Amino acid sequence: MSSDALREEIIKVLKTVKDPDLNRDIVSLGFVKNMEFDGNNVKFDVELTTPACPVKEQLKNECETKVQAVEGIGSVGVNMTAVVRSTDRDQPVLPGVKNIIAVASGKGGVGKSTVAANLALALQVTGAAVGLMDADIYGPSVPQMLGVPIAPPKGGPDNKIYPIEKHGIKLISAAFLAKEGQPLMLRGPMLGGIIQQFLQNVDWGELDYLVIDLPPGTGDVQMTLTQRAPISGAVVVTTPQEVSLIDAEKGVKMFFQVKVPVLGIVENMSYFVCDGCDKKHYIFKNGGGKSMAEKLNVPFINDIPLIPNVAECGDAGNPIVVADPDSPASKAYKELAGKVAAQLSINQAKEDKVETSFEVAWEG
Amino acid sequence: MSEKDEHGQGGFLPKKVYQIDPKTLGIIWDDDKECSYPVKLLREKCPCANCIDEWSGENKIVPGSIPDSIKPIKFNSVGRYAIQFYWSDGHDTGLYTYDLLRRLGE
Repeated sequence: MSSDALREEIIKVLKTVKDPDLNRDIVSLGFVKNMEFDGNNVKFDVELTTPACPVKEQLKNECETKVQAVEGIGSVGVNMTAVVRSTDRDQPVLPGVKNIIAVASGKGGVGKSTVAANLALALQVTGAAVGLMDADIYGPSVPQMLGVPIAPPKGGPDNKIYPIEKHGIKLISAAFLAKEGQPLMLRGPMLGGIIQQFLQNVDWGELDYLVIDLPPGTGDVQMTLTQRAPISGAVVVTTPQEVSLIDAEKGVKMFFQVKVPVLGIVENMSYFVCDGCDKKHYIFKNGGGKSMAEKLNVPFINDIPLIPNVAECGDAGNPIVVADPDSPASKAYKELAGKVAAQLSINQAKEDKVETSFEVAWEG
Repeated sequence: MSEKDEHGQGGFLPKKVYQIDPKTLGIIWDDDKECSYPVKLLREKCPCANCIDEWSGENKIVPGSIPDSIKPIKFNSVGRYAIQFYWSDGHDTGLYTYDLLRRLGE
């Protein structure tokens, strides 16, 4: 068979391979690229919208099996690549950042910063370019978790601030603005000023994902960010107790009001697996995050287990995703990263038509 | 497209926000509904804390006090949820949420 005829057959079978998140076949999505023939042997790229795609291996296997079954084919080489799409193509704030993910909670102490740091790292290990903005003004804890010393970041011309790089991600933190151990005591307008600086003056370079660790609650920082930054989506963290769920629900509703898509709810410290038995012990309560997600009609992403090692690793500056990639918590974070990235891709696929960022002078 | 609920995920978003003529703003929504807004009405409906009493919800703009010559100098998006107008009388503190604009257009 000629390579043209082979190509036609291959495209035909690849049209039966569906991206389960976008619910369309990979040919019409434009994922199949650079198809090359060497005799009867073929190789091609499948370019996904995120390297964190949770079904990457499954798609690769399906492509290989289906193309291999084409009559007259020799060897099949499928190379999985990814180019992250940008949520807001035309916006002036953070132009090099393709997607901004806010990690929020209603209540404090639910492990929001731990989730934010491990989510950022879990996205990074898939090959994405990732930044982490620690906007928790009153209790910035990310430098501690990543093992970054508290020191003013390097500055440059035009008031540029350069983020610190650690574990492959770029970090800027409110902790860098005060002396170690000293509190930042600020009223509203100052908070807005700091957030504005983080958005305007930090040289993030090109990022696929910027994860923002928000302070708990629904106050100044959240409002400034949702007004100034084109947030692509929010992840709301809760713990299983009712007191946390009540506040988390308010967090979700805040994002509803400012039209930031809620990518999903994460239930942290969900259960404990002791080393004596494999049973999941639901120490607090079970299923609260999931039922809240159902009630508010937003995705429930997953449960993250309560594992003492998560806290130890965080305190030691070596987060669990890096320190122990195979631990159940790390697996939960990787699943979280995959689902967040997939949900962003889904939203982009349907949001293309909406005008999100504009400035117009009135005529006449 | 799923059901729209301004209190839930989603709500209506604009596909296009544009000037129809010197006195009218137009919005095409993502369900393809087209609305036109006389700019004087928009100024009178300013939702800011100076124009609407924060506690009672009473409109503090004296009826008839907005001149017919009122117009925006410019307008821009705020986050993903609102439009801010810079009016020819110097007023610019109102954030017109898409939920509000949609209600005014019904």
